[in-house]
Amino acid sequence: MRDNSELITDIYRSIVREVLSDYAGHQWPLIPVLQKTQQRIGYIPPQCVRLISQALGPSPVEIQGVISFYEQLRDTPRGRTVIRTCRGTACHVRGGPEVMIRLRDILQISEGETTADLAYSLESVACVGACGLAPNVLVDDEVHGRMTPQKIEQLLQDREEEEPW
Amino acid sequence: MTPVTFLLNGRRLTAQSDSTILQVARDNDVDIPTLCEHKPLTPHAACRICLVQEQSEGRLLAACATTVAQDMDISTDSDAVLRHRRMTVRLMLASHSASCMVCGKGNRCELRRIASDLGIGTAGLYRMRQPALTLDDNPFISRDPSKCILCGKCIRICQEVVVEEALGYLERGFSTRLATFTDGPLHQSECTFCGACVSACPTGALTEAHPAYGGTGDRTVTTTCPYCGSGCTVDVQVKGDTVVRAVPSDPERPLCVRGSYGLDFIHSPDRLHRPHVRRNGKLQPVGWPEALSFLAGELQQTLDKWGPEAVGVLGSPRGTNEDNYLLQRFARSVLGTNNIDNGSRLYGAPVRQGLMATLGVPETNPDPDHLARSEVILVVGADLPNSAPQLAYAVRRAVKLHGARLILLDPARSRLDRFASLRLRPYFGTDGVLLKSLAEVICREELFDREFITRRTEGFEQFRQAVSDLAPEQANQVTGVPARHITQAARQFAGARQAAVIFGRGITQQPMPSEAVKALANLSMLAAAVWIPGGGIYAVELEANGRGACQMGMLPDMLPGYDRLDHRGIRRGFEEVWGGPIPAERGMAALQMIQAAAEGQLKALYVVGENPFRSYPDPQLVREALDNLQLLVVHDLFFSETASCASVLLPAASFAEKDGTFSSADGRLNRLSRIMEPPGQSLSDWSIILRLAEEMQHPLPFSSLKDIQAEIAEILPELEPLPPPEGSRGERPTAVGSRWPSTRGIARFCIPRLPEVATPSEGYPFTLVVRGSPWGQGTGQRTGRSRQLRTFCSRGVVEVPHRAAGRLHLSEGETVKVVSEHGSLAVQVKLSYSLPDSVVALMAHRKEAPPAALFAFEADPDTGTPLMKTCHVRLERVRHHER
Ligand code: SF4
Ligand code: SF4
Ligand code: SF4
Ligand code: FES
Ligand code: FES
Repeated sequence: MRDNSELITDIYRSIVREVLSDYAGHQWPLIPVLQKTQQRIGYIPPQCVRLISQALGPSPVEIQGVISFYEQLRDTPRGRTVIRTCRGTACHVRGGPEVMIRLRDILQISEGETTADLAYSLESVACVGACGLAPNVLVDDEVHGRMTPQKIEQLLQDREEEEPW
Repeated sequence: MTPVTFLLNGRRLTAQSDSTILQVARDNDVDIPTLCEHKPLTPHAACRICLVQEQSEGRLLAACATTVAQDMDISTDSDAVLRHRRMTVRLMLASHSASCMVCGKGNRCELRRIASDLGIGTAGLYRMRQPALTLDDNPFISRDPSKCILCGKCIRICQEVVVEEALGYLERGFSTRLATFTDGPLHQSECTFCGACVSACPTGALTEAHPAYGGTGDRTVTTTCPYCGSGCTVDVQVKGDTVVRAVPSDPERPLCVRGSYGLDFIHSPDRLHRPHVRRNGKLQPVGWPEALSFLAGELQQTLDKWGPEAVGVLGSPRGTNEDNYLLQRFARSVLGTNNIDNGSRLYGAPVRQGLMATLGVPETNPDPDHLARSEVILVVGADLPNSAPQLAYAVRRAVKLHGARLILLDPARSRLDRFASLRLRPYFGTDGVLLKSLAEVICREELFDREFITRRTEGFEQFRQAVSDLAPEQANQVTGVPARHITQAARQFAGARQAAVIFGRGITQQPMPSEAVKALANLSMLAAAVWIPGGGIYAVELEANGRGACQMGMLPDMLPGYDRLDHRGIRRGFEEVWGGPIPAERGMAALQMIQAAAEGQLKALYVVGENPFRSYPDPQLVREALDNLQLLVVHDLFFSETASCASVLLPAASFAEKDGTFSSADGRLNRLSRIMEPPGQSLSDWSIILRLAEEMQHPLPFSSLKDIQAEIAEILPELEPLPPPEGSRGERPTAVGSRWPSTRGIARFCIPRLPEVATPSEGYPFTLVVRGSPWGQGTGQRTGRSRQLRTFCSRGVVEVPHRAAGRLHLSEGETVKVVSEHGSLAVQVKLSYSLPDSVVALMAHRKEAPPAALFAFEADPDTGTPLMKTCHVRLERVRHHER
């Protein structure tokens, strides 16, 4: 019997192989290959980094450096829903931090982390350009203005009811 | 590239247009401080410490990365330069940990030196947040990111020079820091603790972790690493009489973990301090005069009673050239025997025989640096990262920086796998078939170089005929390697202009090893790559002076310089220099001597620095043989297992306590320099032998090391046996390599015989391979006594594939009995996720679990080499009450 981790590695291997074949002959394939892999898996797991390294040359630790350099690339999984609080000045003075604190309490994770069930990731973002509505929270890129700790809690509860995972 | 003229601090200078401002300044004794510049690395221009000013335009330039141009007017100390440089340093200090006083880098910190040169005491800036200490759990290296100035030297050296690829940058901007892959501790990364990054780091961000390796030495001695045949030149820093640090003498040539952190075995409390003589069954300490007169008497008695054929001498590939030269001369002219051998017999003899038969030379010595020119590198049966680190570095550089293709031919995996473009994994013991099939493809597809073959070789047509029956499809059935891979490898190898071959113990300790060496030489001839830089044949040399011991004549059938013992004229030449007769009969090789001792023909054995009890197969038989001797003389550093059987035990000086020379694998002659006095009454091997000869009323005409060196120079002028100047890396003599073309200029194709493939016998389902590790060497006598290496190699470990372990209910860390037809060992289990299901791997070099115990006392009849790389075993659980 094969165990789970081998199965996963096999799946990753076939995904990486497909992605690589899309970019065969490409002059600088690393970044597009990483982007595409992330699109397919949601993030770029270490096993994939090793496979990509093997095919393209740069060492795993160099590729990891590239991933951490680009904001859009991730080597840890992200939740299905990404919640980002605005840390811009307006939002900060109008209660943004309290919202963040409440979110941390509810989700039991800190900023930059993902819940164990991969439901939510918690992040912050620079001014989203809606200072008039401060404080703002982005839920999967949808702006929710005039946020309060109570409102964010309600919002999460509503979502749970809509989409029970 | 054209000469340009410019001003440097007002001086008119001329230099080539491709030189950097920094190079020009250094050449003209103008000091420019640097932090991120490092000789073998491409300029990085990260630290901005080396700023200089171009006066006419006022621009500030990084001297390390800017080339000189016509009419530049450069100032290295204008006000603007100093202002900026001070600011840069203050910014570095502002984000730097405040623990300068207790920093492990001490006054070797370059940042601190530059700051004080600029008169900067404190940063005088708001202190920035500092990253937390990285938790590393290893005895070698500690990391303190708060002291990192992000000069990138460590990363570049790890990526471009040793190419272990353990370190990289993580994140960016202010939060940039250095990290391993997945950001774990070093010991879970690719890091092998080679120490290259530590010696390059300008600050205390990377330092030696072990408290004993601390502080700054009060003197530095340049000498040669005593471990492997790479022959690294090392700067040993000493405080009082203690080694506190070892760093590469040449920043372009990093050491490995053994050279960087393993030299402290010389301080082991196990060191012998006094001569011992066995009285009433017990070894008792005595003084030198007593030990030597007793020994001289015993030796004389044995000679008188049994004749010189009953006496044998074993020298050591860890001894110097001078030790070995003198020892074989003592054996031949004082004792009158050719029963002479050295420990490189265990792996080196097949190389000699295989090359003699094909290329007509006893050794091969291409320069590892030439691999940078190779198009294809074929590595066969060699675990380079463990057995020959410098070759591994060179191979990986060739692949990563120079675009070479690496073909691996090995049943086992190694840390080179990641760099290979083609991996052929034949079943164990079928390498010969695979090599023959590669030749078949090259011949059938006519990929060989016809001109070279006609002009410089003979025997080609017969060879071609002989290999024609092994097409890749047939070879596939025996070896399991896909036919198309065989064809591909053959085409790549023969198609390359420079194709190098590297091989190791996987070849030399298998059945019929010299035949496999011949097969490799044949391949090299087919590709016309034998003598071109970037081509050639590299044999892994496991011991620091394996080559030297053989060159010096520590062999039963060859005189110094591999001269023929069976040639009357040659012998007479030596007799003239040595002033007495030399026995003509070829003597016994190492294993034959042990056999003869067991059977009672050999009465006395003189062992210098060898430990047959651990390194030869079947320890039980070896013990019986040693016990059977009338006289066993041992020179050793420690109470080794062999030493404890001795009748006379003499304390020997280690590499650190003597002068002399080693010959490295690539034929350089390297100097050993005495770092400190030998402990207690220990003496250099050569001086013990001199005294003994005198005691035997047969004094040898030497009174110093220089005298011995002068005689070697007289006999072997082409080996350049005079020591190289102090502090330098030895030169490669051209003579040894070029001897061949000057003799006849023709290589011979040999038709290699194939060994039978051993099939597992009933009840021994696993194939066991003996595997090296970076933390150990040889039988672990020295590495097992190094405080730091020991922590990583303390217990015997057998790697078991996880599925097999599951079937046998074995878990990680449990003790298991490994049983072969010839012996057994109890060792700890480590689960492996990479080994094939029927293969287990046993770590070599563990003092506590010598693999030798599993092997039969059986040698290849052609070369006298014991077959100690693989055998068939079963695993037995050790039940609780037996533990
Ligand atoms: S010790 Fe060697 S392998 Fe380890 S990080 Fe430093 S340079 Fe790389
Ligand atoms: S650890 Fe040392 S060598 Fe590496 S980047 Fe930091 S300061 Fe430079
Ligand atoms: S063991 Fe070999 S590679 Fe390592 S430092 Fe010594 S000579 Fe160099
Ligand atoms: S500060 Fe939050 S939207 Fe501008
Ligand atoms: S030495 Fe030139 S920028 Fe660092």
